[in-house]
Amino acid sequence: MVAEIGFGALIVAFVVSIYGILAGLYGARRHAEPWLESGRRAMLLTWPLITLSVVCLVALLVGGHYEVQYVYNVSSRFMPLYLRITALWGGQAGSLVFWSWLMAAFAAAATLRKWDRDREFLPWVIVVTLVTLAFFLGLVIFVENPFVRFWQMPDGRQAVAMFAPRGATPLVPMDGRGLNPLLRHPGMILHPPMLYLGFVSFVIPYAFGVAALVTGRTDDRWIRITRRWTLVAWLFLSLGLILGSRWAYDVLGWGGYWGWDPVEIAAFMPWLSGTAFLHSVMIQEKRGLFKRWNMILIILTYALVIFGTFLTRSGVLSSVHAFAQSAIGPLFFGFIAFTFIGSMGLLLYRWNDLRSEGVMTSLLSREALFLLNNLLFMGILVVCFWGVIYPLISEIFTGQKVTVGPSYYERSTAPLFAALLLLMGIAPLSAWGHSTLKTLGRALWKPLIASIVVVIGLWVGGIRAWSALLAFWLVALVSLVTLYEYYRAVVARHRRTGENYLRALWNLAGRNRRRYGGYIIHLGVVLMALGIIGIELFQTETQGTVQPGGSLRLGDYTMLFQRLDVFDTQDGRNVARAVVSVFKNDRYVGELHPRRDFFYDSQQTMTIPGVRSTMEDDFYVILVDWQSSAQGITFKIYHNPLVNWLWVGGLVFILGTLVAAWPDREAESPRARAAQTLAVQGA
Amino acid sequence: MSTDSQPNTGSRSLSPVIIAISFVVLIGFLYLIGQGLRRAYAGPITIGQKVPAFELTTFEGEVIHTADWQGKVIVVNFWASWCKPCEQEAVDLERAWQRYHLGGEVLFLGVNYVDTEPEARAFVAKFGLTYPNGPDLRTKISQMFRIQGVPETYIIDRSGRLAFVKKGPTTLNEISGVVDRLLAQTP
Repeated sequence: MVAEIGFGALIVAFVVSIYGILAGLYGARRHAEPWLESGRRAMLLTWPLITLSVVCLVALLVGGHYEVQYVYNVSSRFMPLYLRITALWGGQAGSLVFWSWLMAAFAAAATLRKWDRDREFLPWVIVVTLVTLAFFLGLVIFVENPFVRFWQMPDGRQAVAMFAPRGATPLVPMDGRGLNPLLRHPGMILHPPMLYLGFVSFVIPYAFGVAALVTGRTDDRWIRITRRWTLVAWLFLSLGLILGSRWAYDVLGWGGYWGWDPVEIAAFMPWLSGTAFLHSVMIQEKRGLFKRWNMILIILTYALVIFGTFLTRSGVLSSVHAFAQSAIGPLFFGFIAFTFIGSMGLLLYRWNDLRSEGVMTSLLSREALFLLNNLLFMGILVVCFWGVIYPLISEIFTGQKVTVGPSYYERSTAPLFAALLLLMGIAPLSAWGHSTLKTLGRALWKPLIASIVVVIGLWVGGIRAWSALLAFWLVALVSLVTLYEYYRAVVARHRRTGENYLRALWNLAGRNRRRYGGYIIHLGVVLMALGIIGIELFQTETQGTVQPGGSLRLGDYTMLFQRLDVFDTQDGRNVARAVVSVFKNDRYVGELHPRRDFFYDSQQTMTIPGVRSTMEDDFYVILVDWQSSAQGITFKIYHNPLVNWLWVGGLVFILGTLVAAWPDREAESPRARAAQTLAVQGA
Repeated sequence: MSTDSQPNTGSRSLSPVIIAISFVVLIGFLYLIGQGLRRAYAGPITIGQKVPAFELTTFEGEVIHTADWQGKVIVVNFWASWCKPCEQEAVDLERAWQRYHLGGEVLFLGVNYVDTEPEARAFVAKFGLTYPNGPDLRTKISQMFRIQGVPETYIIDRSGRLAFVKKGPTTLNEISGVVDRLLAQTP
């Protein structure tokens, strides 16, 4: 019964979406307000309907209804409650329902905003959002239905179907196969929802962009409306990427955080174009430039979201992340063709209306540096895109699939990332409209000298690799510039208003959240860069087989192997856990428990490293081979300097995004702002 | 983009050539992923299907023809030196090989997927692999099996049909469970 209700709710949601699309189109054509209002309500209604379906699926998962194929595939009796709930997005079908649900939540939120001032966008926002939603619902209903069940046919065969075939009786397996153990990690539980949230929330700015194109209202209104949506989307996408890296670092057991896997890149590409978009919309808002470019960027971001989802789910590319091959590939292909061609046609149609209203006057102005920033992000995007589709190209032209490895990406993107860092140091100091070398130099020279002092200090301290020195110099420069900017602004405010420094800092950030939130984000990026430099340039590793009482050495660290315990747990695992003591410069610093879990239900193993973590470095021990042999147990050890700054930087980054996205105290409308200015002038 | 920085005077239409080029590029891109999709859906060899004969040139230069091993069990493992899960299973694969190779009824083939030779050789040396290992020249073998990534392990039974597929790292128990069962079958 529960399965039927869940499936029924999906069908109703699908029909409602189609109705909303038609009502929106008709309302726009006839300027019929009642039809528009009806379309708006249809969009609002999809969310409760899909919520009902999600509740049904979760109920089946929690209740252990293994007659439902999806429940059988992703859960088992041994799994604790929270994992049964999160198994909702543990497989293809469920995660598509989950995706639709999040998408509908954003659609519903968009319908609830005040529409009176930009009513003309409404029909097209409804149409674009609901077309996307209807497509995903269609996939769930017609191809990847999570509610299909097992049946025993009269002739003894087994069947999988939504409704009972003639004469069939329900077939209820005793237990499910269980969730992939690799996914049983807090980072992994939150990583997909965050990515999905980031993906689906980019649909809203895209919908407004398309609405602006269709209606021909090509001023910066659509950008002002979607500014916060875009930041929220970007926040979730960033969170998803950071959590994914943390998961990889904790679980995959190779001491790494990013493997340049096609699916990682698929999630990274919309982030790149989204980041470029976040920066370049500011130019349009302040200077009226780059209208076409912004439109291209938002279309590109949406296209990359859909393309990335397609890559992950269709089986076109080989990847550790990919879902099992499924029939949704061709349908996705059709949808991609439809949206790409449609968006591009619309963009070219409105090309002439999207002329810039201003002129770029100085090569050192803020807008010129933002343009450079955009070009660098696009450069990284092109490298990533080429790497992802290269296997497909090579297969067509040479008949063999040639994939590119991490070294391709690292070598091609490292200089671009370094240039971006440098730009992060300089751009905040330049002014809108007009900057000269002189004005820039005046703002820059103090942090510049301080950063060079830092590098000299590092050189004296014994670091000789030029790549490391260059990287640390960039990090020092950007952080000093950012802190110096804060310092100057706070001191100026203190002098002007007499507020104490902390209060001045608080009010400053409160008055221009986007700017100062952006600076916090920059600081976060710099801290992350520190962690990345540490692990990329200074990571060391060793591997060895030792008996109990034996030890392994790596740098300043010694690891003493005490014993190996093997035992079964309540939740269906067989655990082999090593106990090792860690010494740094021959001083005891703690005990680690690297272990290997074997999951009886899914017959899979998972290695969990033992990590001693400090802000200076991580000492990371993995149990490579646990079946005792005459030689003993094999361990692999990594020394990862500075890696924790990556996670600290991630937190700072998120904090900065929250500051930037937080609603302003002052009303945002230009009219209110104008009134305020008048009031100030009058005072 | 260069037009964006131009003053806003006059309305220049987009030339049809640019429009055409934009669409050609887009259609070309769609064709590309369409072809990729078509190939992906051509499907791999499925369990129970006959596996075509292939040959592997080992790092030592020896050429092994699977056709010469008719009636035997063949374990084909795809790996790469850059693949971390491959390290995890390498020890077990070698152990399994040690268990079977004296009997002469089982052949292990390590197929090195998309790799550089020095690193691949270092991997073989590091884990002391003694069964035949060689590069997948022109990615022929991996294309035949339509592998999705490394590691993947395929076991072919005595009649030359695919009997077992494992995507992801395998274990000694898993291999020996399958191989023992296949050895018990008559060709």
